[in-house]
Parts: sequence; C-alpha cells; structure tokens
Amino acid sequence: MIQFKKSIAGIVAITVVITSCNKDEKVVAPTISNEGLTTALLQLVNDADVSDKPTAQWEQLLDNNGNPLPVDVSAANLNLKANATYTAGIILLDKTQNPVFVVSDEVKQRSNYHLFFYQSLPTVQPLVIPNNYPVDMNDLYPEPIPTPIPSGDPLNLLVTITDHDNNPQQYPIGLETKFKTGAASTGWLRVVLRHQPNLKDGTFAPGSTDLDVGFNVKIQ
Amino acid sequence: MNLLLRIVVFVLLFPFVTKAQSTCNLTVHGKVFDAESMQPLPFATILISELTKGVACNGTGEFIIDGLCPGNYTFKCSFVGYKTIVYQQFIKDSTTHNFFIKSETTIINEVIVLGKKEEGLVLASQSQADVKGEDLVQVRGSSLGESLKSITGVYALQSGPSIFKPVIHGLHSNRILIFNNGVRLEGQQWGSEHAPEIDPFIATKLTVVKGASSVRYGSDAIGGVILVEPAALPDVPGVSGELNIMTASNNRMGVTSAIVQGALDKKLSGLCWRVQGTYRRAGNSKTADYYMENTGFAEGNFSTALGYAKKNFGGELYYSEFNARLGIFSGTHAESITDVEAAIRRSRPLTPSYFSYSIGRPYQQVKHDLFKTNVFFVFNNQSRLDAVFARQQNVRSEYDYVPLTGNLNPELYLRLITHTVDLIYKHKAIDKYTGTLGFNGITQGNVRHYQMLIPNFRNYGGGIFYMGKWTNERLTLEAGLRYDYRWLRAYTLDNNTAHIITPTWNFQNVTETIGSYYYINSHFSWTANIGTAWRAPTVNELLSQGVHQSAVAYEIGNPDLHSERAYTFTTSLHYHAKRFQGELGLYNNIIEGYIFLKPDQQFIHTIRGSYPTFTYTQVDARFRGIDLNATYQITDSLDVTAKVSTLYAWNKTIHDYLQLIPANRFETILRYGFGDHGMVKRLYGSAGGIYIAKQNRVPLNSDYTDPPPGYLLLNVTIGFSIPFRKHMMSIRFAANNLLNKAYRDYLDRFRYFTDEPGRNFTLRICIPF
Repeated sequence: MIQFKKSIAGIVAITVVITSCNKDEKVVAPTISNEGLTTALLQLVNDADVSDKPTAQWEQLLDNNGNPLPVDVSAANLNLKANATYTAGIILLDKTQNPVFVVSDEVKQRSNYHLFFYQSLPTVQPLVIPNNYPVDMNDLYPEPIPTPIPSGDPLNLLVTITDHDNNPQQYPIGLETKFKTGAASTGWLRVVLRHQPNLKDGTFAPGSTDLDVGFNVKIQ
Repeated sequence: MNLLLRIVVFVLLFPFVTKAQSTCNLTVHGKVFDAESMQPLPFATILISELTKGVACNGTGEFIIDGLCPGNYTFKCSFVGYKTIVYQQFIKDSTTHNFFIKSETTIINEVIVLGKKEEGLVLASQSQADVKGEDLVQVRGSSLGESLKSITGVYALQSGPSIFKPVIHGLHSNRILIFNNGVRLEGQQWGSEHAPEIDPFIATKLTVVKGASSVRYGSDAIGGVILVEPAALPDVPGVSGELNIMTASNNRMGVTSAIVQGALDKKLSGLCWRVQGTYRRAGNSKTADYYMENTGFAEGNFSTALGYAKKNFGGELYYSEFNARLGIFSGTHAESITDVEAAIRRSRPLTPSYFSYSIGRPYQQVKHDLFKTNVFFVFNNQSRLDAVFARQQNVRSEYDYVPLTGNLNPELYLRLITHTVDLIYKHKAIDKYTGTLGFNGITQGNVRHYQMLIPNFRNYGGGIFYMGKWTNERLTLEAGLRYDYRWLRAYTLDNNTAHIITPTWNFQNVTETIGSYYYINSHFSWTANIGTAWRAPTVNELLSQGVHQSAVAYEIGNPDLHSERAYTFTTSLHYHAKRFQGELGLYNNIIEGYIFLKPDQQFIHTIRGSYPTFTYTQVDARFRGIDLNATYQITDSLDVTAKVSTLYAWNKTIHDYLQLIPANRFETILRYGFGDHGMVKRLYGSAGGIYIAKQNRVPLNSDYTDPPPGYLLLNVTIGFSIPFRKHMMSIRFAANNLLNKAYRDYLDRFRYFTDEPGRNFTLRICIPF
C-alpha cells in the first residue's frame, strides 16, 4: 500500500509541474485579415468641364475581430451630367491599416491577375456581371442596389475600360475607364473586381470576386 | 477475421478424495499447446470424466493432476475457441502427457489483460472492428481516413483527393475520438477540412469502436473511438523491423516507411526500443478526364520509443512528429455563391489540367508533435496501476493566395498545446469479477495569429470513472459510470473597444454504460450495449463570427450552447460456421442538443459580396443504421464477401433529414487463392465492386445543388508473398476504379467543383527483417 501511495503522489507532483507553465493564451494578437479592403472610391472628371468632378464612395469597415460593420453608402451617390464623357478612375483602400493602404496600387502591380467589371442597371443589354435572382435566391446585389432590380427605363450610362495589363493578349484591367452618359435617367452602377490567378481570359467566369460594390447614379 | 482468444479463468477446485491406500498417489502432469502455433495455452482445463474432477493449467500452460489411483481414465482437454480432445489411458504409474489442441475459428471478442500494454479497456460488449493483417497491408500508404473505409459503418468526409476525415455511423470531427498511441489526438479537429494529424504506419492494428464510449474516454466519444495502436515493444533480444514501399500511378505518389526495433539483453535486459519514420510525396491528382491543379502533398513523420519492463513495473518514453503540407485544389477558389453555382453548372473546372509535384498557394501546413511517458506498477495483490502523461502540440497554418497587401503571412495560424494525464487502476480480481478505476485529466491552451476564426482559449477537464466486468465461460457483463467536469475560458478582443474580454463556461456530465457479451454456442455469439456519451461545445460553435473561408457561409456562434448528450444502443450478432461467417450490427443513437449550423435565410453584406448566414443551433437528432459483413467459402479456394452499410439520420426538432450524412454503401468482393507456385507463395487475386447510392435523404433547401448520382467502382488486387532471408516479403498490385469512372461523392466538400480521382494503379511491398 505504501508503494501505491508513493506512486500516486509522485504522479500528481509531476502533473502539477508539467502543467503549471505557459499562459500564452492570455496575450491576444490583433486581427490581421489579409483580405483587407474597406473602401472603393470612384473619381470622375468631365472631359469638357474640369470643374465637374463627381465622386462616390462605398465603404465597409471592420471591427477589432475582422468582422464587417454595417455598409456605409451615404456617399455612394454619383451625380452626372447628361450627354457627357468623363474620365474615371477607381481607388481601393484598406483603412484597417495605419497608414491607410492603397490597394489599387497593388492591383495595378498585379494587373495580370485582376479584372474589373462595370454594370449599369437597369439595362436591356445582356448582363456583364451575371445575376441569377430569383432562380437563385442567394444571388443578391450589393448595397445600395435593390434585389430584384425594379422595372424602369434603362440607365443611360456606358462604361468602357481604357487600361490594359501586361499579358500578351493585353487584357483590360479597369482601374481607368471612360463614363459616357446619354439622356437623363436614374439607376445604379455595380462594380466587381475579379481575382483570376493564371486564369485571366477577358471573361467574368474564371477566378473569384475580391470586390462587389454598388453606387446610386443620377444623370441629369 | 478476429482470431484473438478470450482468456477464461476457470478454476475447478474439487476436494480431493484421498483413499487410504498408499498407491493412490499417482500423478499426471504436462502442458497444453496450440497445435498450429505451438504456443502454450494458459488456463486450459483438463477434466477427468470418471472422477468428475478437473484442473486448470497455470499461466504457462502446465497442469498437474495428483492423488490418482491406478485405473482407466478419460482426460478431456478443453479451452474456449478450441476443439476439445479426449485422451483415454490406463494409468498405473505417474506419467507425463502433453495435449495439442486445434482452434476452431470461432469469432469471439477479445480482452487483452496480460502483457506489457494495456489496450484501452475496450468493452467486450461494444461493436468494434479492426483493420489488421492482410486488410492493413492492402491500405498501407493511405492516410488514416482512407485506411478505415473497409469497415462497415465507417465512411470518410473529404476535402478533395488528399484530405480525409473518418466518419463513424455518420459522426465525425469532435464527435469521435482518435487515439494516437494511447493519447487522445487533439488538434483543430472541429474543422471539416482538417484531416487527423497521425501516421497510420505507427500501428500494426487500427481499431474502430462504434458507439458511445464516454465512460472510458470522456468528452467527444459520441460516435465512437479509433485506436491507432503500435504493437508492444519487443521483449525478445535482437533487432527486427519492417520496410514498406508504396507507389501509386494516379498522383504519382511515393511512400516509404521503415520501422526498426529491438530489445537488449544481459545487463540491459528489460530495455527495448523502436524507431520509425515515413515519407509520402504526391503530385496533382487526376480525375477520369483532367488533372486537379495544386492537389499535391508532402508528408514526413517519425517516432521513437524507449521502454523498460520488469515483472512488476516498467515504463516507456515516446516521441512522435507529424509534418504535412497539403495543396488545396485551386479550382475551389470560389468566394461567392455565384461562383459556386457557376462551378456546379460547368462539366469541368476552368483551372488548367497538368501534372506537377509543386505545391503552391493555397495550401495547409500542419505540424503535430507528441511526447508521452507511461509507467505501470503491478502490486503484490495482483492489482495494477498505469499512468500516462502526454504533451502534444498542434501547429496549423493556412496559406491563401498572396493578398493585395503583398503580405506573405498565412491567413490563419493556430497553435494548440495539450497536456493529458491518465491514471488507471485495475484492482485485484474477485473470483470472476474485475474492476477498473480511472482518472483522466486534460488542459489545453490555444493561441491564434492573423485572422480571427477561433479565439485564444484555455480549458481544464477532469473525469473519474469506474468500470466493472463479470465474466464466466459464456457470458460477460459490463457496467461503468463516469463523472466529467470541463472549464473553458476564451480570450478575445471586444469587437468595438480594444479590451480583452474573457467569456467563460463550465460543463458537467455523468455518463453510463451497460453491456453484455454472450457466447451462445460455437456458431453464434451476441453482444448488446447501452451507453451514454457527451460532448462539450467547441470554441468555434460558441464564438464563431465571420466568413468561413471556402464554405461561402457567414457563421455565427451561440454562447448559450449546452453539452450534447447521446444515448446509444448497439447490438451485434456474430455467426460462424465452416463455410460461412457473418456479422450483423444494429445501432440507434439519440443525440440531445445536437449542434449544427442552421441556415438563417438571411444575408450579410461584405465587400466581396453577400453571404448567407448560419447560426449554431441545438436540435434533437437520431442516427440509426445497419452494418452487415458476411463471407461465404464457395470452394476451398474461392470465397465471396458482402458488406452493407446503411444509415438514417433525422433531425427530430424540425422534422427533416440532417445534412452530409453518408449514403447507403454496398460492396462485394470475390477472392480466389491460387496457392503456392515455386517461390511465389499464397498467390491470390480478388475483384470487387463497391456501389455508393445517391443520397436521397437530405434536408430541403440546405445545399447549392442535389447530391450527386450513385456510382459503382471496380477494384482489383493481386497479391503474393516471396521468401526473403528468413521472412516473407509481401507484394500487392491493385487497380482502384479500374474502369476510370468519372464520379462525385456527396461526402466530398469539393463535389461542387470537380470529379473524384480516376483509375489508380498501386504497388505495395512489405519487407520484414
């Protein structure tokens, strides 16, 4: 019996020693979400009138744990003059970093793997950015664009991409664009950035979405 | 099948009737041996019909019958599982006689009590199956999840061609336990794409215990337990080992594994050691029509053990390491529902099809190391104490495509350190009754970096149990009771302020088991077990808040979850005859508080698009099924085996099926033995078909698409042995999916994006030395 008690005592002592170390879990590392992209900023300049510089911003910040906070579309309004042509650029920012990180510069560096798509809504043309609502109830438009798109006159906005990447085929990128407006109308603009590593072929299908944002558009 | 023996302690002590005559002092003594292996049989019995008197052999198979008068006697030597033999002799002098008895190949469950290693106290009344011997040789080189698929009721949850998680009766991840050389494997097993970090090459046997096993093992053993057990360290002086080589054509995989072990003698007698290592390397997998880009993997493992054993005490030191880099198929890079649905509509992925060994982003990098020490003491009253201490560290990094920030850090880094202590005391046997008292303690600390998927946490757990067993020749009765306590504290940043908050939980549970094993006759035996089990909610179920990478879902944890409690009823009937043997198992598992992700029918908008949200919810679930395994010996050379696994799972709370439940599975294998031809010994060929039905029992509106259609695969094996030095080298050629069928499996998370692998030729060579 003495031998038994000694062995138990020895075991308990060793256990206490082994487990009494190491409290690393009390130090909480900050959240670094590599996907950081919080803000999409559209900046336009009217080719005929340099004082006409409409801008619009779509923003969604993250909390301390990297979770998305409510989307801020208060400044996501693009007011354009009818029958005009604008030279436009899109800037992407990550405001979770200090200083603010300019993501669009990186997109430009890796233009061979990225492609923007711009979709004017409502439209009678085939969709550039596919949407299967209501067949697929999960396929929703980004705020502030309603799902489904209400029926109405099409938005008279044509967006064409003017830059291109370094692939032999010189695929477009979409950081620099031209916005051409027609008669007065209202609607929305959807902007999607596709990440297409080794897969870029000029179409929407390959790869996955890095950005999917919307803007209210008023042409008058 | 199972040829291990039940050791029956059967002592008949009849008072000796001594006659007055001095001539009645004759003695018959000898030993009882197994006729084939020539091993002595401890505790065999010799009965003398004329005297209705018997004796039992001692622990080395020796017997003595004394006080005999001269006369004619009929000696019957018997032992459970062996054919009784009768020896008639006129005894006029003291004499020696040895008995050589042959085993009936009766299937009976086993309990290993003697020997250096106490094998997990597996209950005799539970439904269990092994992969060992020939079955294990046929799967050498595969990962653990793949190796167990030959057992009825066991399936695999896959993420592509390289990640397999075992599923027992529909339950997996935190609802089953995997034992790595006697220590519960603790990693991030809550993740459906996190394969167990264990090298099956450390084991000579893989055991699956099906059903509630919490009384012995504690939290998480709801679906069952998988024991990956090495053989006991050698006790015969000398050096021995085994070399295994395997290659596969589909992903041009090469596997090498070697084990060397030995025991020392003379002054260092009692010391034994083992060193083992494995290397696996594979490139892109090929489906029937195209290669899957970035599906290669590289894995390197080693383990080493040092043991010391004497009659009354001993111990062992053990260290093992598992390292793996697993490529994730680039065609699964879908971050929105639109992408998943576009992938479903395509007949093949858009990613390029080519072979390469290179593993690029996205990939997983996992390292798991285990340090274990165990000691045992056998006391004067024949009771025994075993103590095991272990420390294991699991480091998991997941690397996605290099983000726009240019940062080369992993997306996710998790490091989990677990300390366990187990004390098992088997008290002195009281006649036919044995009992065991045990204590299991565990503490874990988890640290995360980069993404916040699960937070830092610390937990402590303790369980105390008692199990008793009463055995006689035919019947075994078992019962057990256990109390568990678990404390969990998470350390996480408050969403809005920068303060660290520490939500805390504790869980307590009592679990029970009762079972019986009944050896009806030499043809039938029957087992039944009723047991309860429990599981504490995991930290991801309590605190998730975010997009689950590669699941296109925003998962929301529920801090109010309570423990899951399961009530399992299992029963099995075993039949054995000369030409036919079979096993039929039925089970019914009722899980109260079953935690699963319920679709909320709501969306959260992120900058990448909208994601449906899912919340961890508790419901009452039922898992019921039938496992059947039968072999018929058509001729002496030809036999046919049939296996059936069916499972029905039901969400009682919402009256609907549960998601990701395995479909019905049917397998038929024909095996023909060609015998020995010169150098080529035990040549055989087998051909089998396996049919997985379409899973029609799925909940409404909970998946992007219908489950894939059923499929039939044809597999062929040719095997033989060749003498090599003093041992037999075994060689197996196999062709899996011989007809190169293109198919998808419902339990593969990549089924939306790609087919399963096509034809695969494999060669396995095992060289013992």
